[in-house]
Amino acid sequence: MAHLPRWGYLKINNLIIKFYHEKKLSIEDFFQLSEDEWQTEFDLGYKETEDLKKAKSELVNNAFLAETLINEGYEIIPITSPEYSKTLKANLKAAHAPALLYVKGNKQIMQEKSIAIVGSRSASEIALAFTDNIAMLASREHKVVVSGFAKGVDKQALDSAINYKGQSIIVLPQGIMTFGSGFKLYYRQIVDGDVLVLSTFFPKAPWKAELAMARNPIIYGLADEICVAESSEKGGTWSGVVDGLRKKRIIYVRKPETSERNANDLLIQKGAIPVNFDGKPESGHYPLTSANSAIFVRENEENNQKRILDLLKNGEYSAKEIIQKLDLNWSEKQLRVFLENQKDVECMSGKPLRFTLKDSTIKQKSLFD
Amino acid sequence: MTRQEAEQLLQNTFKLSHFYDEQWAAIDKLLKGEQVLLIEKTGFGKSLCFQFPAVLHKGMTVIFSPLIALMRDQVKKLNLLGIAANCVNSEQTPEENTQIIKDAISGEIKILYIAPERQENSEWVEATRRMNLSMVVVDEAHCISVWGHDFRPAFRRIINLVNLLPKGLPVLATTATATKRVEADIAAQMGGNLTTIRGNLMRDNFRLLVIKVNSDDEKLIWLGQNLGNIPGTGILYTGTRVNTEIYSKWFEYLNISSASYNAGLDPESRIAVENGLMENRWKCVISTNALGMGIDKPDIRFIIHTQIPQSPIHYYQEIGRAGKDGQPAYIILFFYGEDKKLPEAFIEGGRPAIPKYEKVITAIKNEMLGERELMKRTNLKQTQIRVIKADLIEQKIIREVTVGKSKKFEYIPGAPQLNTKTFEELRASKTRDLDKMLEYVETTQSRMKYLCDYLGDSSIHDFTNCDNTGLKKRTVSVNEEWTKKLQDFREDYFPELDVETKGANLVIGIAASYYGVSNVGGALHRSKYENAGDFPDFLLRLALKAYRKKFGQEKFDLILYVPPTKSGDLVKNFAVKVSEVLKFPISHNLIKHRTTSEQKVFENSYLKSDNVKDAFELKTPDEVRGKTILLIDDIFDSGSTIKEIGRYLSNLGAVKIAPLVIARTVGGDLV
Repeated sequence: MAHLPRWGYLKINNLIIKFYHEKKLSIEDFFQLSEDEWQTEFDLGYKETEDLKKAKSELVNNAFLAETLINEGYEIIPITSPEYSKTLKANLKAAHAPALLYVKGNKQIMQEKSIAIVGSRSASEIALAFTDNIAMLASREHKVVVSGFAKGVDKQALDSAINYKGQSIIVLPQGIMTFGSGFKLYYRQIVDGDVLVLSTFFPKAPWKAELAMARNPIIYGLADEICVAESSEKGGTWSGVVDGLRKKRIIYVRKPETSERNANDLLIQKGAIPVNFDGKPESGHYPLTSANSAIFVRENEENNQKRILDLLKNGEYSAKEIIQKLDLNWSEKQLRVFLENQKDVECMSGKPLRFTLKDSTIKQKSLFD
Repeated sequence: MTRQEAEQLLQNTFKLSHFYDEQWAAIDKLLKGEQVLLIEKTGFGKSLCFQFPAVLHKGMTVIFSPLIALMRDQVKKLNLLGIAANCVNSEQTPEENTQIIKDAISGEIKILYIAPERQENSEWVEATRRMNLSMVVVDEAHCISVWGHDFRPAFRRIINLVNLLPKGLPVLATTATATKRVEADIAAQMGGNLTTIRGNLMRDNFRLLVIKVNSDDEKLIWLGQNLGNIPGTGILYTGTRVNTEIYSKWFEYLNISSASYNAGLDPESRIAVENGLMENRWKCVISTNALGMGIDKPDIRFIIHTQIPQSPIHYYQEIGRAGKDGQPAYIILFFYGEDKKLPEAFIEGGRPAIPKYEKVITAIKNEMLGERELMKRTNLKQTQIRVIKADLIEQKIIREVTVGKSKKFEYIPGAPQLNTKTFEELRASKTRDLDKMLEYVETTQSRMKYLCDYLGDSSIHDFTNCDNTGLKKRTVSVNEEWTKKLQDFREDYFPELDVETKGANLVIGIAASYYGVSNVGGALHRSKYENAGDFPDFLLRLALKAYRKKFGQEKFDLILYVPPTKSGDLVKNFAVKVSEVLKFPISHNLIKHRTTSEQKVFENSYLKSDNVKDAFELKTPDEVRGKTILLIDDIFDSGSTIKEIGRYLSNLGAVKIAPLVIARTVGGDLV
């Protein structure tokens, strides 16, 4: 259903909202309904019913492909799944959010804080250096870097995030099954849980310019923050940013030197927020990185660290449980790294990993102590 | 559709008058779009249960079957009935398969048989998107379960596929042999609304006999004395490939017509033996258990096991192929105490040691690897890699993915630790099964009832078809004449060395013996590793006899020998003696120009080949141009060394190179 020709995301999502949320029907049950029921209960016309009938008849065929997908470790995440990126749903809403995500890698990454670093395929040295710097700052703060696997800024953002041991989402301009060599290239990062590869297109669709354009809103949608390294006056970055501004997204753009020939200033005129090399906004704008409020952050973090260690005195917890119990604003990875670096904390093997304090005497004292 | 209407159609299409009740029960459900597990003995007519509805359905029915022989056979029969059926399998050329898949897409095929492994093929998966599919059948469904006797990892994917099929698509799973436990496992894996239909397993035309003997020799002697007296033609199952060879040479020696068969044969040879079996060309076909599953021959009159199978399920499955026409069939099992060592070794050695698993996991964690790369990285045998791979996939630690055209293994992020408890449970379960099989030998009750009970069929019959319930007990009478015959045979039988290879003028050579089968191995070991001096003279006599048997009075221009890695001049001295007797000149000029490791250090032939690649040099290269060479070595294992030298000498202009060795190991690594 997700790939019905001439069915836009809005139409698909509205139908899903109707049967899944309003009528509490699973998609399987929905497809068991008669054509009459489709037409009367869901206001579907003849054309739509015919499309759905065709989709239904293809279910058995698609089962063969789905089995291959799953067997090769790809996952299919429908918009109704709790695993679906909440950021994406919130940013794109029913009108633009794709009904299905095809992913491979650490899905958890989609739930972390994220930043998209975007820009031209033929970016200048300074734009690439800026990209590298922002990726470093983001990785240090455990923000996931979202990028589109194009030449130039995209590739730089990804490589830098990997280089600084951060996490990344690669948003493909093609079907996920056609990314073979890429999976080999980022094998270690995927195994280590630092990279997620994501596509919204039919799994076997080859690269196409239209798909590359259609992929841009997904990059923006997956990110909490958007940062433009360099844009020309046309092309993917330009239209993506303009589209983002129209959707009322906050978009940061690197303030160019006067000698540069690009459209960064134009975007700033259109409402994007200018930032310096370290991603700091010009005065009066909301901060991109937390570098300028470092003191507050440090105090707050120290307090959090104490709360975590106190909690561990009482027993064993997984990273997720700790975050929930203490209502922390941390990513799981950030917490794990922190805990693994504490010499008093013991990491109990298993899945998920659980943590506790090493010295058992600190644990709940007995009445006789 | 009513049963009456269906039977009318049955008459018209299949020329059969009626269904059995259980057949109709299954067909009725399939026509209603339900899922059915059908457990019925061989010969019951399971195929009709999907062939009939397949003809009625609008689209095509896909049958996943692991048995290529069965595919071929059923396709032939359906075509004779005018039903458009075909099969896709690895023994056909890619062009043939592509054409058949095209026909399937264009709707010209009603029933398509494919192997479960085909789901790994992207051409197939791509094509399924354009087919009109009406029903899916999983044949030999016990292969789904690790608790069955023949678990096959490829079936795991078929189960995943079945679980992804839309509601209302009929699915049939069939098997002839499933214990209650396997039945429950299949049902659980297929999930959903599965109806199980189970028939009885009684085969009253069987004549079940167990013959207890005191040695392997006694088995050979009994068969020599009696095989000719058993009516009709049949199958003799041995435990190992080497034994198929030994038994077939023994029968050849006795002028009993036979053919040998194992999974290692090339497709043409296999098809030739299968056809010969169908046409009763031989008294018996000697085979490992690779033969017979799915061969639809109604009149197999006997099935003899020289080696006790691993479990009563294996046994029932294998004997099930006899007497499908309902006429009497002799089912004979030989047993002597030592026999249980082979299945025990299978159970114990069925899985490599845990550190080998860890080695594989570590290697795959570091990089994406194909099977061959993995063998090189880990120095493990291909057979072991395959077992480990299947277990790791099963435990969701690694998965197999396609990169371009090649298959690679990748580590699954966040995978669980290796669970060795499952291995212990499986081993314990297999040991229990073996004990049950040994109990079959010793039981004083009806043997048929024993098997039926074991397989979960407790229906009541009059059991009078075994040597515990009325039939005469058979024993072996060993006399001097037969002992002598066997002795003569043994001294006249030598294993061949199949070394013919591209780019080398090597011809099939000969070994004086198998390494582990006689006293030859022990003698070699003493000389090589216990300083017992030169190889003893009896080895020379045996090797010369082997030479005469294979090459007769043929003359060679030159003797060369394989230069040693470690064991000094043993082979050289041996070759000198051969040269003195045969009066062929010998050359000492073949040397190693770089150090190699002993071949036995390497577990697989890729590493063995790498070890000896370009390692040899003939100091006087002109010496072999235009010459025929007898190439001597002590032990022949994978053949990598002989092949490497063969290629090298061929490049120097040698026109024929024939290997002569003292012993050939049993097995080799690329089974």
